[in-house]
Amino acid sequence: MEIRRHLWWIAVLWAGFTLSQEGPFLQRLNEAIQDGGSAYARDLQQDADQALCSRYRDRLPPEAVEPFLQRQRSLIRYPAGGRLLGDWKQGEALFTNPRKGNCYACHTGDPKEKGAGRMGPGLVAYGQRGTSEAVVRFTYEKVYNAWAFQPCSLMYRAGVHGILSPEETAHIVAFLLDPASPVNANARR
Amino acid sequence: MSRLWRFVAAGLALLALGVGVFAQDQPEPSPAEEAKKQRQQLLEQGGGILPSDLYVAQGEELFKAVRGPKGVSLEGCDFGRGAGQVEGVVAQLPRYFPDTGRVEDLDSRIRSCMIGLQGFKPEEVKRSEVIAIAFYLASLSHEATVDVRLATPQEKRMYALGEELFWVRAGPRDMGCATCHVTYRGKRSGVLPLSDVVGEKVAAHWPAYRYSNDSALTMEDRIRTCYSNLGMPAPDYYSDAVIALGLWLAVQSNGAKMDLPGFIR
Repeated sequence: MEIRRHLWWIAVLWAGFTLSQEGPFLQRLNEAIQDGGSAYARDLQQDADQALCSRYRDRLPPEAVEPFLQRQRSLIRYPAGGRLLGDWKQGEALFTNPRKGNCYACHTGDPKEKGAGRMGPGLVAYGQRGTSEAVVRFTYEKVYNAWAFQPCSLMYRAGVHGILSPEETAHIVAFLLDPASPVNANARR
Repeated sequence: MSRLWRFVAAGLALLALGVGVFAQDQPEPSPAEEAKKQRQQLLEQGGGILPSDLYVAQGEELFKAVRGPKGVSLEGCDFGRGAGQVEGVVAQLPRYFPDTGRVEDLDSRIRSCMIGLQGFKPEEVKRSEVIAIAFYLASLSHEATVDVRLATPQEKRMYALGEELFWVRAGPRDMGCATCHVTYRGKRSGVLPLSDVVGEKVAAHWPAYRYSNDSALTMEDRIRTCYSNLGMPAPDYYSDAVIALGLWLAVQSNGAKMDLPGFIR
């Protein structure tokens, strides 16, 4: 009886030890990443949802989508004072700057900008949607955290990662929506 | 007579106009056509010599020179087909080498031989020399068929790592190799077209000369450039991370005929 109880404890401890170990593959992956250099290893540390997108190669199973979107929604922050529509001129600089929004890499904005990429939808005349509360809020939230709308979208979470502050996000919203901004003023009608 | 000449001149002017209009209607040339044009231009300017030929010549000199503390050339280096065999070796790299116990790519193997065979200290191995030697070896693998096999457990493990790293999304821009080069292949990021690195068998034209900024690059350089373009720190040269990605890409390119040294935008 005594021996059985000891064996049971040993089994529990052994199972706990085994389950707490990383799989050999993950361990090797981590070793390879560490071997790539410390800065590389730091940047390749994933958050839980980046890991999900990697694991499912950007196509989440249906049951994972809703919790994913909810987690991402909860990460959205708003400017103090709640003004989601900022200054379009500052927004233009942020939209263009490769170290900030870098939006032209994928989207056309000002139709006169020739170097715009084609990976995302074109945004010329985006302002024709008007500036209702719903449009402004959607635009703000999409720019701040695209993954709150489309899991694993190519569009990176500029607000979540601090590339754009809430105030800066509001400036980009103005660049898209203000009728005076080149996105709308330069659009052919 | 003068009437005839006037007629001919008018005809020529019309033709020129027509060609001009026609040229304007042409769509943007494909990256391959553009590269071909640039190559032709450089060949004409250089009197039949391409900039990449100079790297090849420099590499050959370094390869055959008696150098290093041990006073030997690299001609005795084993690139996978036996010591001294250099024809076609680039088409079969990366692979596992029992003497170093590592899966090595072209860059890493050159470095290993400079250290093991010639006796250089790791910090004495100059990147520019590795690149030149890589270009020389590449020139001897031109038109070889890419044939990278996963014969050992080490190679299989590295392949799995490479595939995993290719699909990883990480960093402050939530990016990964596959986001651009699989999901958005063929589209443009800014002015740059995104190649389909799986379907186009891209490993077949590395190492390559890049005419847009006059530089000689190996696959390791190219992979590191991708990370920099994403605003992410690149994996170290000769690290398992960069070799694993190179191995994965090379296997995707199996069966392709090598075009070396490559000539790209």
